[in-house]
Amino acid sequence: MKKLTKILALVLALALCVALCACSSGGSGTPASTGSSLDEYKDKDGNLPTEAPEGTEAPEGTETPEVVETAEATDSQYVKDKGVLIVGITDFAPMDYKDENGEWIGFDADMAKAFAAHLGVNVEFVEIDWDNKVLELDGKTIDCVWNGMTLREEVLNSMECSKPYCNNAQVVIVPVDVADQYQTADSIKDLAFAVEAGSAGEDMAVDYELNYTPVKSQADAIMEVASKTSDAAIIDSLMAAAMVGEGTGYENLTYTVGLNSEEYGVGFRKGSDLADMLDQFFAASYSDGTMIECAETYGVQAALIAQ
Amino acid sequence: MELILQQAPIVIRSLNIGFLQTLKLFVITLIGALPLGLIISFGSMSSWAPLAFIGRNMERKNGRATAASRFFTGFCPISLIVKIIVWVFRGTPLMLQLLIIYYFPGLVWGNPIWGSGESGRFLASAVAFIINYACYFSEIYRGGIQGVPRGQQEAGQVLGMTKGQIFFKVTLLQMVKRIVPPMGNECITLVKDTSLARIIALQEIIWAGQAFLKGSQGISGAIWPLFFTGVYYLIFTGVVTLLLGWLERKLSYFRA
Repeated sequence: MKKLTKILALVLALALCVALCACSSGGSGTPASTGSSLDEYKDKDGNLPTEAPEGTEAPEGTETPEVVETAEATDSQYVKDKGVLIVGITDFAPMDYKDENGEWIGFDADMAKAFAAHLGVNVEFVEIDWDNKVLELDGKTIDCVWNGMTLREEVLNSMECSKPYCNNAQVVIVPVDVADQYQTADSIKDLAFAVEAGSAGEDMAVDYELNYTPVKSQADAIMEVASKTSDAAIIDSLMAAAMVGEGTGYENLTYTVGLNSEEYGVGFRKGSDLADMLDQFFAASYSDGTMIECAETYGVQAALIAQ
Repeated sequence: MELILQQAPIVIRSLNIGFLQTLKLFVITLIGALPLGLIISFGSMSSWAPLAFIGRNMERKNGRATAASRFFTGFCPISLIVKIIVWVFRGTPLMLQLLIIYYFPGLVWGNPIWGSGESGRFLASAVAFIINYACYFSEIYRGGIQGVPRGQQEAGQVLGMTKGQIFFKVTLLQMVKRIVPPMGNECITLVKDTSLARIIALQEIIWAGQAFLKGSQGISGAIWPLFFTGVYYLIFTGVVTLLLGWLERKLSYFRA
């Protein structure tokens, strides 16, 4: 018995090694991994010269002085080499949402498609957990966050952001039957608020010295009000328009006072040159009218900022 | 109520898609973790002590066991490594493991090995779930194997069975029967733990249900789809419970 377990233990050790090797080799073989990492190109040079995907970039990188350059390539080069701009979004009408055929549409989605076409790459939309947007960017699982993102200080610090392109406001959500009591910023001081943790709404709650509970999402904040576990919530006006009132699941909620005005921008990896390229693209498409046309399609033209 | 009936076809279709991901993750995890758990349990039971001869020599010289000699005789590297791995995976939240396994390669190596799409997220989730559950399973296996009385093996030896025969026909056979209830517990937990994968945006059923809160496919501000996912989980665990009961009856051999 002892000997048997000994043999089995050895088999285990081998199996674990094999399993781990299989994991890593399988992983680095996926097409999304066309990295800018120096090691990867070395690998390709050393072992698989003929198997470099799509051929063109890897052989260029083989000339020694250029290897270093490739490794430090700009973010736009990284995206172009990869051939696809991966856009991190959440399902958020009217900015990014699915039509009946499951295609991503919306003001942000359409502009992202146009920007990718301008770069000469494909576009891929990936739904992310909003809390993890910086992780997704830095981990290169997405290339930009383009989803009605408020340009707050944390966002500006952790991402390379475009210029603002759309106006927004934080509004207070209350039940319809008490709405007339809470039309001013002073009247809401005594309410118990629910706000999305780390959102612009939370900033407002802090600024106005309100008594609030942070929750996971703006949707959760509204649910708190609907279930009367909180008196009021603070969310984006664009979202408020889509989520509460007639024809939604929250017919007995409404939005009242606007607490601030703020702006939407697009976020890229820190230090990325794509932010500048997008600013130029926005300026060009604003002046030739395509951006305004796109905004009118989704009813956000009033909020659009001149580029 | 009327509104719910109107929304139901769209919501159910979307929840079904989400549930399919949940089901897929559940099945893949079991397929991966059941054998891997057995391998890990052998590892943690390994009594391979490469330095034991040093300890034995010391004992022979000194005529008695000292702390140092006991260290050498008792040093089992495979068992130690495996036990540390099990400790790490059982000792940290699965949610954290998911985050690390998915984001670490891209963040630290600059090479997002999993890819960004749904399939990459699924692959990373499957790997995290398989390793995590294999660690739990390994301890259940170990309990089952060590719970078979020693006399059973001795009886096998008396009958002239080989070691392989004793393990597969005596120990393993009785172990399988003993571990069904605790394994059932883990399976039921796994059904519900699949929802943790939403942290890396795997679009399983909870994600699908929550989408309608914020607005998706023309429905926004609907709470009921999220609550309704509970029905799916209940039916799923119900089916798993029935299957486990059936399995237990099937395995009730040796009992008169």
